[in-house]
Amino acid sequence: MSNVSVRSVDAVPAPLLRAGKFLFDWIPLVILTVLWEYASGTAVPAEILPPPTRVVGEIQELIVSGEVYSHLFTSLFRIGVGLGLSIAVGVLLGIGMARLDPVEDFFEVLLALTYPIPKTALVPLAILWLGVGTETAVLIVFLACLLPIVLNAYNAAENVDKNLVWAAKMMGTDGRQLFRKVVIPATIPEILTGVRQAIPIAFIALVSAELIASDKGIGYLILTAGQVGNYPTMFANIVIISAVAFFAVRGYEILRERVLVWT
Amino acid sequence: MTERTLDGHVSISNLEKVYDDGAERTTAIKDLSFDIEGGEFASIVGPSGCGKSTLLYLVAGFLDETSGSIEVDGDPIDGPGTDRGVVFQDYALFPWRTVMENVTYGLEEQGYTKEERRSRAQKYIDMMDLSGFEDNYPKELSGGMKQRVGLARTLAYDPKILLMDEPFGALDQPLRESLQDQLIDIWGDLDKTVVFVTHDVEEAVYLSDTVMVMTRHPGTKKNVTKVDLDRSQTREAIITSNEFTETKNDVWKSLREETQPEVQP
Ligand SMILES: Nc1ncnc2c1ncn2[C@@H]1O[C@H](COP(=O)(O)OP(=O)(O)O)[C@@H](O)[C@H]1O
Ligand SMILES: [Mg+2]
Repeated sequence: MSNVSVRSVDAVPAPLLRAGKFLFDWIPLVILTVLWEYASGTAVPAEILPPPTRVVGEIQELIVSGEVYSHLFTSLFRIGVGLGLSIAVGVLLGIGMARLDPVEDFFEVLLALTYPIPKTALVPLAILWLGVGTETAVLIVFLACLLPIVLNAYNAAENVDKNLVWAAKMMGTDGRQLFRKVVIPATIPEILTGVRQAIPIAFIALVSAELIASDKGIGYLILTAGQVGNYPTMFANIVIISAVAFFAVRGYEILRERVLVWT
Repeated sequence: MTERTLDGHVSISNLEKVYDDGAERTTAIKDLSFDIEGGEFASIVGPSGCGKSTLLYLVAGFLDETSGSIEVDGDPIDGPGTDRGVVFQDYALFPWRTVMENVTYGLEEQGYTKEERRSRAQKYIDMMDLSGFEDNYPKELSGGMKQRVGLARTLAYDPKILLMDEPFGALDQPLRESLQDQLIDIWGDLDKTVVFVTHDVEEAVYLSDTVMVMTRHPGTKKNVTKVDLDRSQTREAIITSNEFTETKNDVWKSLREETQPEVQP
């Protein structure tokens, strides 16, 4: 059975195969959308579950009126700054922990203890310190993204092939140079994997933070639309931020492939 | 001095290496003394786990001895140095560097200009029959090619002592033989001391002036056999000669005693 299907798949031209796979990948989403369209107004009242057709119309309106852009920009800015900070701090911390025992001892317990805390639980506290707005959102994104980045960098730096370090040393590399010429390049693939894991986390953390309290951003639009019972707008904003997150991950993956030609 | 002596004299005395990972102490090398003349080709054979790699890495300066000493041309070694070059069993190429960039690494560290680096590296890339692969990454190469890149990388920065850890172990017979012959040529041309670890007795005898057999774990020197072959002959003439066969059998028997201790009287 499986042999037969493999052989028949081989006979199909590659572009057709890719197109087929693409369609197949999107089937669940299509089914979900069709069910949603059907359920809206029958199983569930359309007021609380607006049909996809209405949501799409609403998205169009948000885009045409330009209302969504400044909020989207604010959200992306917060994600960018929070993620950027977590990469800078996380890579240094992760590699530092792997190379220096005191750093490891100092942060190991702290990280283990703070790991299971949902970072959005800190929003009320962050608001107390930083007020409602960008600073709080950035802090939450930063904290939520820090761990996957630290852990990946730490693991990678712990497991740098000893022979590569030796090879560099025998050719005269030492100290800081060893870091730059061997440890960093050897850990880059895993650091980039950590960033890949952090991107969706950044979106989740940001929208959650903005939902709890904010003055601007996509989370703010979702919250205010929900509060006044404008569910089509609420859904439209959820779809917009999901799509943006999806393309952010895809774009990042393409970029990563380009950078890591040697893996 | 009237007699011509080459640099690269390695003198190992009363060497001991104990691995201590906190929980367990493993004596890998015990009471080993061995002298390798400058320009000599010395092979080390011994059963698996007897400490051959450990010995090589001690000479390379990657590991610190527990007691005893290793001197190169009369000076105790102090960590890794560019006077010694290792060819690793698993190649240890930098995966993020192309073939050319791997081979120029050592020259980069020694401060050569870019043009000098490239022209020097190209010589060894050509010597190792890697022309056309300068811009490939290690992942794109076969095992035999990777090992040739490893050899080119080490030869390029011109260490006077080559330390080779079962470098041809993973290669098929024809490639192995061709690299063996290339190595003999290089050694003859470049006046290097070679310390060559292998588990292949024929390879050891074919290549070396001296073969040291090590005892099984914990490893120490069992015996040293001098090989006296006329290297101007062809491979076929050498390996079919009585001298070669007898030496090979002696070494093989001696090694056999270590790998099969239970049949000893
Ligand atoms: N890093 C290490 N820590 C502890 N024991 C080791 C380590 N490296 C090697 N050994 C032990 O030392 C002995 C010699 O190992 P090795 O030098 O690799 O032998 P060989 O190269 O002859 O096969 C073995 O018993 C091995 O288990
Ligand atoms: Mg070994």
